[in-house]
Amino acid sequence: MKKIEKNWLEWLVFGVSAALISTVIGFLAYESVTMGEALPDIQLQTGIPEARTGYYAVPLQVTNKGDQTAEGVHIEVVLRIDGREERSDIEIAFLPRRGAREAWVTFKSDAHNGALEARVLGYEKP
Amino acid sequence: MTPPVSNSLREYARGIAGGLMFSLPLLYTMEVWWAGFVAEPMRLILYVATVFVLLLGYNHYVGLHHEASRWEVVIDSVEEMGLGLVVAAVVLFLLGQIETDHTAFEAIGKIVIEAMTVAIGISIGTSQLGGSSEGAKRPAKTEATFGGQIAIAACGAVLFASNVAPTEEILMIASECHLAKLLGIVLLSLGLAALILYYIEFTGSAPLSQTSDSLLNVIVGTVISYAVALMVSAVILWFFGRFDDVALLTCVAQVVVLGLAATLGSSAGRLLLQ
Repeated sequence: MKKIEKNWLEWLVFGVSAALISTVIGFLAYESVTMGEALPDIQLQTGIPEARTGYYAVPLQVTNKGDQTAEGVHIEVVLRIDGREERSDIEIAFLPRRGAREAWVTFKSDAHNGALEARVLGYEKP
Repeated sequence: MTPPVSNSLREYARGIAGGLMFSLPLLYTMEVWWAGFVAEPMRLILYVATVFVLLLGYNHYVGLHHEASRWEVVIDSVEEMGLGLVVAAVVLFLLGQIETDHTAFEAIGKIVIEAMTVAIGISIGTSQLGGSSEGAKRPAKTEATFGGQIAIAACGAVLFASNVAPTEEILMIASECHLAKLLGIVLLSLGLAALILYYIEFTGSAPLSQTSDSLLNVIVGTVISYAVALMVSAVILWFFGRFDDVALLTCVAQVVVLGLAATLGSSAGRLLLQ
């Protein structure tokens, strides 16, 4: 077999490439072994309301604890204040497995003074 | 003789430019980003393996270093894939698709799925977009074997089909299309394959048509080209999860719809990419 002629740059690119590919394959193999079949399990956490121009924005942390991705995650947040209810909702296009997304829902009433309740209305398999 | 560093640098730059030219539509498509984290890790590993085999085939038959030994073909393919990963990561980051609050799997899934097309683009860019001064030195391509033709046709088909495969439109067209129209798409694909291969004389088409103009050869060549296109379409669609929970008829319809794009690639690939 004839000798392979390469300069230092080509060997460097080859070395880095080989390392990258093996890392990626190793990571995917690890994920594939450790990843279960758990259905999407969506957890919601509301943050502290922030006053904006003419409305109040409530930060929402949406986390998928499951091993499967959820598509079209529809979330409703209810604000109970002075005996009335104000509703707000949001849809997240994709919530990756074990992934998280940040979102905001908005209310006209001052959300500081009320009780917030968030729940997932529905989602589908991608 | 070891090639000068400046030459290799230019070769890599040429490859990266080619890779971006061929894969930018995919890097800008959200269905592809989604497919990166929806697909199971095992499917991604299979995808990487398949593309690596394609790169090996391409580099063996048409790659830059014609006189390359087996190991050089492997090294070239590894380099192209590595560059593909880096280029995909940088572009996705600039497009805001890799954020710090994303999980490692989401980021790596997106990068891997995009990097494979970039890698094929880099491979083609490196060998095809070369300047004439270097091209003149290169020996003319030795007659590609049957296996070589298939490998090149498959590369061309992947390149063309992967740009539209992940979009919703394929499924939409396939589920709404009448059977008669699907048949029309099949005939159009076959017609285009025959025209591209044997009639319109793209640059480089001469060697093929010279040797074989008998009707039988035209039919065989066209059918093979279309068959490669259909197979590539089916594999790509399966990879993007388009066959999951779908009726058989819709699966076949999708393959036919995507097959038109793939045919352009497979038949033009056999001429242009060599």
